[in-house]
Amino acid sequence: MELYHLYQNNYLVVLMFLLLGILLPIVALTAGKILRPAKPTKEKQTTYESGIEPFHQSWVQYNVRYYIFALLFVIFDVETVFLYPWAVAYDKLGIFALIEMTIFIVMLLIGLLYAWKKKVLKWM
Amino acid sequence: MNGELILFFVLALVAIGSGILMLNLTKVVHMVIALVFTFLSIAGLYVMLSAEFVAFVQVLIYSGAITIIMLFGIMLTRHDDKTETKIGVPRMILVLTGIVAFFVVMFFQINDLSFGEQAADLHVDNTEKIGIALYSKYVIPFELTSVLLLVALVGAIILAKRDDEDKGAEDNE
Repeated sequence: MELYHLYQNNYLVVLMFLLLGILLPIVALTAGKILRPAKPTKEKQTTYESGIEPFHQSWVQYNVRYYIFALLFVIFDVETVFLYPWAVAYDKLGIFALIEMTIFIVMLLIGLLYAWKKKVLKWM
Repeated sequence: MNGELILFFVLALVAIGSGILMLNLTKVVHMVIALVFTFLSIAGLYVMLSAEFVAFVQVLIYSGAITIIMLFGIMLTRHDDKTETKIGVPRMILVLTGIVAFFVVMFFQINDLSFGEQAADLHVDNTEKIGIALYSKYVIPFELTSVLLLVALVGAIILAKRDDEDKGAEDNE
């Protein structure tokens, strides 16, 4: 039970950091809002787009090409999740775990190579 | 009332509140943001249940990857539409009875549910235990996961790429 309390108390630090992380932008933006002079004109309130005048909404329909990048990210994210317990338990698992993980990574590598071959990774 | 209970209530409230917010918001992108808050508070609940690794996965996969996939899925479709809620009274009554019935059933089932002796040392070497179980006992499901991921990737490429080539051909004409 004592160990459990130690575990919980460790997460108090995480909670502190989380609260600080949430509070920091809120306080900074609110303080800025109070301190700065506010004289809004229509011109000022347009979105800044590196000097180009913005036209229509920012939420436009994307090209399907971007979706592949998102999917690639997700797949390698999942791979990372599997790598964590493997790396932590590696000392107790022996050589067989290495073979398992190699098969796993090679499988995903096939997917990456397929994407590469299909010129998905190429920009235009 | 100890800190654990307070934290549980806060997390549960955020999870349920964001869930309701997600259903009631009108813009789809805002819905995804509400969904992220639900995912994060559920991760907090996992931490409270001594499931550190699951909480970490929840943050990494759900509030990171799944949200990205959802956002991109939304961006690919028509998303500047706003939902119009027009529900008749009979349907409202039907839904309400359903909710009440569900609550009553769940309440009486959960009320005297016993899980027996609870493990007290789940938080000790949580990730290592999962690793040992996953790579010695559940090898086949683990390898099948890689096949599943491969199929998902290849399938998405085939679907997206063919679409792309058609568009390219149209552009050339």
